[in-house]
Amino acid sequence: MLLQVTHNTRYDYQPSVETAQHVAYLQPLQHASQNLLSHSLTISPQPAQQRSTVDVYGNARVFFSLQVPHTVLEVKAQSLVSTAAHALPESTEAWEQLRDRLRYQAHTPFEAASEFVFASPFVPRRQEFSGYARPSFVAGASVLAVAVDLMERIHTDFIYESESTQVSTPALQALEQRKGVCQDFAHIMLAGLRSMGLPARYVSGYLLTQPAPGEVKLVGSDASHAWVSVYVGDLPEGQRWVDLDPTNNRWGWNAPGVDYVTVATGRDFGDVSPLRGVIHGGASHTLTVGVTVENIGGDNTDSVALASASQTQGQGQGQSQSMAGGMSQSQGAIN
Amino acid sequence: MDPVSTPNDVLTSARASTAAAAHYDELRGHPPKKASSHAAADVVDAMDSIAASARFTGAWSQFFENMETQSSTELDARAASLERQIRDNGVTYNVYADAEGPQRPWSLDLFPLVVDAPSWQHIEAGVQQRMRLLEAVMADVYGPRTYLAQGLLPPALVHGHPGYLRPMAGVRPVGGRHLHVAAFDLAHGPDGNWWVVGQRSQAPSGLGYLLENRLAVSRQFPQAFQALKVQRLAGTYRALMDSLKAHCPAGADAHIALLTPGPYNETYFEHAYLARYLGLSLVEGSDLIVRDERLFLRTLRGLVPVHGLLKRVDDQYLDPLELRPDSTLGVPGLLQAIRAGNVLVANAPGSAFLESPALLGFLPALARHALGEELSLPALSTWWCGERSAMEDALSRLREHTIKPTYPGSSIHTSFESVIGNTLGQTALDAWAGRIMRQSEDHTVQAYMPLSQMPTWHSAGPGQRGAMVARSALLRVFAVSDGLDAAGRPHWRVLPGGLARVAGTTADIASMQRGGSSADVWVLTAGEVDTTTLLPTALTPAVLAQRKRLVTSRAAENLYWLGRYTERSENTLRLARLTLECLGGENQNSVPLLQWLSQQAVANTLVLPGTPSAVQARRVFERALIASLASAEGATSVGFNVRALKMTAATVRERLSQEHWNTIVRTEEELFAHCTHLAAQNDYSPAQALRVLGEVSDQLAAITGAQTDRMTRDDGWRLLSIGRHVERLYFLASALARSFETGAVNTDGGFEALLTLFDSTITFHAQYQQSRDIAALTDLLVLDRDNPRSLAWVAHTLRGRLAKLAQSPAGELSTMSLQVPNPDTWDLAHLCDTPEGEPSAPALRELLEDLSDCAFDVSEGISTTYFTHSGQTKHSVGT
Repeated sequence: MLLQVTHNTRYDYQPSVETAQHVAYLQPLQHASQNLLSHSLTISPQPAQQRSTVDVYGNARVFFSLQVPHTVLEVKAQSLVSTAAHALPESTEAWEQLRDRLRYQAHTPFEAASEFVFASPFVPRRQEFSGYARPSFVAGASVLAVAVDLMERIHTDFIYESESTQVSTPALQALEQRKGVCQDFAHIMLAGLRSMGLPARYVSGYLLTQPAPGEVKLVGSDASHAWVSVYVGDLPEGQRWVDLDPTNNRWGWNAPGVDYVTVATGRDFGDVSPLRGVIHGGASHTLTVGVTVENIGGDNTDSVALASASQTQGQGQGQSQSMAGGMSQSQGAIN
Repeated sequence: MDPVSTPNDVLTSARASTAAAAHYDELRGHPPKKASSHAAADVVDAMDSIAASARFTGAWSQFFENMETQSSTELDARAASLERQIRDNGVTYNVYADAEGPQRPWSLDLFPLVVDAPSWQHIEAGVQQRMRLLEAVMADVYGPRTYLAQGLLPPALVHGHPGYLRPMAGVRPVGGRHLHVAAFDLAHGPDGNWWVVGQRSQAPSGLGYLLENRLAVSRQFPQAFQALKVQRLAGTYRALMDSLKAHCPAGADAHIALLTPGPYNETYFEHAYLARYLGLSLVEGSDLIVRDERLFLRTLRGLVPVHGLLKRVDDQYLDPLELRPDSTLGVPGLLQAIRAGNVLVANAPGSAFLESPALLGFLPALARHALGEELSLPALSTWWCGERSAMEDALSRLREHTIKPTYPGSSIHTSFESVIGNTLGQTALDAWAGRIMRQSEDHTVQAYMPLSQMPTWHSAGPGQRGAMVARSALLRVFAVSDGLDAAGRPHWRVLPGGLARVAGTTADIASMQRGGSSADVWVLTAGEVDTTTLLPTALTPAVLAQRKRLVTSRAAENLYWLGRYTERSENTLRLARLTLECLGGENQNSVPLLQWLSQQAVANTLVLPGTPSAVQARRVFERALIASLASAEGATSVGFNVRALKMTAATVRERLSQEHWNTIVRTEEELFAHCTHLAAQNDYSPAQALRVLGEVSDQLAAITGAQTDRMTRDDGWRLLSIGRHVERLYFLASALARSFETGAVNTDGGFEALLTLFDSTITFHAQYQQSRDIAALTDLLVLDRDNPRSLAWVAHTLRGRLAKLAQSPAGELSTMSLQVPNPDTWDLAHLCDTPEGEPSAPALRELLEDLSDCAFDVSEGISTTYFTHSGQTKHSVGT
């Protein structure tokens, strides 16, 4: 599938911001099921300095700094991506076996994936998470089977409610109230998998959504999306991650489906938030985010149409929210 | 002289003081014998121990011999003098800014912990070896990660530790070295061996406190200090500074700053102390800025490059852009500057995982692998429970071991206070075992070792003699970067001294947070004593010129406010004194005078709003004024201003002379002590209040004297002076204006009161005798260029200081200076002229209004021109 993604972020500041430094994770990844054909990043005002680097997880990361006073910051990312689906090879390793294999024993070799089994800032180690996850972990079941079961349970047990949480909402709170947005579901699932000893990553990206029958798709009506990637140790080297989307109950090798675009992976949201920064001045600000994902390949296969029929929408009309004063952080532009 | 056989009450006390069972006795150099249950054996033991208790180690015998006193009364006096010195120097281990909170002075014992030369050689070699190993671990973990790959290090203690910083992965720090300063906590075991209990690499504290300890304790025992050949400390600090500079591309000219979290930090005292001692700029995150991956300091004269940071901020707070976004202590972009190799940070961020107690258990195998050596200085046996076999082993030993958190203070792991197994009952032990099995990775079990006990001096109350008491102590030693060794490998020097932390009771936990104390550490040498001083090596003229001008924007702002609060303290004090004197003086019934004083008191908030004026109820007013003298609620009287003066001074502590600071601390302390005492006795008599104010007045004179005479006249001082004159201009101009409004100026009492407030009584009477002429008054208080309290003098000085202040955009400078009315244009006849039927001296009153307004304008102008950067809030945004 050929997907074109436009991700616009706009900050309106009052009073003006004197200087600012930002980090952006907006460039889609290259992987076995996804080919990045083109990407552009347009920033206004013109940054005094801009630098692209690759972070420790292999994500593309852009630093830029603004040294002119400004009341508006606009960041526009445009990407063209082709995606393909691959049938998953057989995997049978029992979850306990993987868990025990990754557990430290002196002088035994180390698997890099074990890094993703530990607690992280948005995914603390708490008994509540393991308590929720445990029923999915049937003795002897394969890694994939327990992960899919956990995903399905989250999908069933939780209510998707766009205003119910903020980006800073701890996953624990979402677990208690049994509702949240895609990011909360991803964090809860990560916490569940990790608490049982399985490595799992947070994935940030996009999902192509279809307008309801008879309606025209609106520009900017999509949103950033987030899901989970679990490590399946007996798959071919270099392709051991299987993606699961608890928000939409879909999963697949490298990505939950061809209508998904992967941007970045990390331990949790904090590692890969799309755009963050530190500003001087600008006591209050308004954030507007608009994401559009379009299928421009005309390759609207049956499987995609089927899969997307029941998909949960993003946070709607390119949400706009105002924050006044102080240490405002991380408002949700994510579903 | 044989000190042991000489009758001597100190030695009697020393003989009576023995370490508790199973603890090493520092005084005697061995552990006391265990008490036997057998009665007969007890007698033998008792005799043995009497004999043994007289035998002090060679060093302690020598110490007692050279103590220059035999009397415990004298030691009590020395302990008191030590305590006074610590208080006077303002050494604290807590929060300055929280004036209402418990002010806890640094606690220091009279006796040092003595480490003999052979023990020290062993410690020194062992610590150096451990530094080489820790550096190798840092280089590997942030480089090729072979130790992880080979299973020598558990990923849970690296990737799973919040102190492992991913943005530093693959980064080779500038100069090639990660660790420049590290601390090791050592226990002196019952068998006389030294053991590593823990290590600190992130921002270890103590390097400043131990200097202060050394200064204070060596002064109490000068002869013993010489006789014992105690190793000096300065050479090691010098080595650290040289090494830091050698690691910077800028080399000897490198500009190194000490990064502090600020005055709210519990160890801020030592940050300021160290910065002053090492000659570093003391900076907070908001003083720094990153541009084009380079680090700069904001100063009055613009941005100045910074090449190195000795940091006392925890890693997670260093850069809100890449680490904790809610940090206000860091510098956005700092990690980029570090990665680009443009700034040296000591230590390189990301070393906090080394501090986990769990790591200690893996170091012996790593040492064999990385260095091909056995560790010569052992650590207490440690089991990280994340490894199944270790956990099973540890569970069987809980009763006689210590349970510690693997990730102390982590918000994403189970964290708890360490517990010693032998203090727990069976139920509690079982509960811990359950926790360990459930969250095995979060728990570490360590062998328990009784700490050695050293002599401490406990002064008793008045009339009683002090005594020697044995207390458990933990020794913190420091390794600092010291260039390369002969083989070209990084070398570290171990500071021959340290910080001994002494347990508060006979308990075994030595912690400053838990009410313990500290002691100086005397390391003896068999060879020559190195008497290096810290006099700087020759600086290049370029560096000297730069250092001279360097006033950070934050320091500038604080100095400006120091000036304002000093002047406010003086003004409110003079006003309060004057008011109390007038209310009891011969003119106490003069309505204009009372009106004027009441208005002044309200304008300066010496009384709370709503207090009846002195005209309405003189005694109520008087009592309200006295009650508010040291009140922090609502009123901004003398106490409020003196406290604000002290808090502002604390933020620029490193720029003030010791005497200057001492006087400020003492003034505040005594003022509040007196006022609290009087309030407790319900004594609101003006006589007592005036006595207190009189004393404070003398001390304030010493403070202003220090500001005039004892400070370098750089831009920082200029701002302090501007602050004082802005405040003075406003206070005097508005006081004079009110005297015309109330008519007080036309009364005898009011006239005299004005002269007092302007501190000009003596001059006036010398020049004009008993005249009550407005023109004479105006001449002296407004126009006189020789009277430092005349408005012309204040305005003239302010214009001069503003003109001289740092280069600012040319236009702004002249406007700011020109905002102050020019005294050259003031004319006595014009100012005093009162047309028929109009209120007196309209031109003078207009001038006074202009002067008050200009004080506001100048203050605004100064703030926007010089302080905007540091005052601005930084915050994080994100999607």
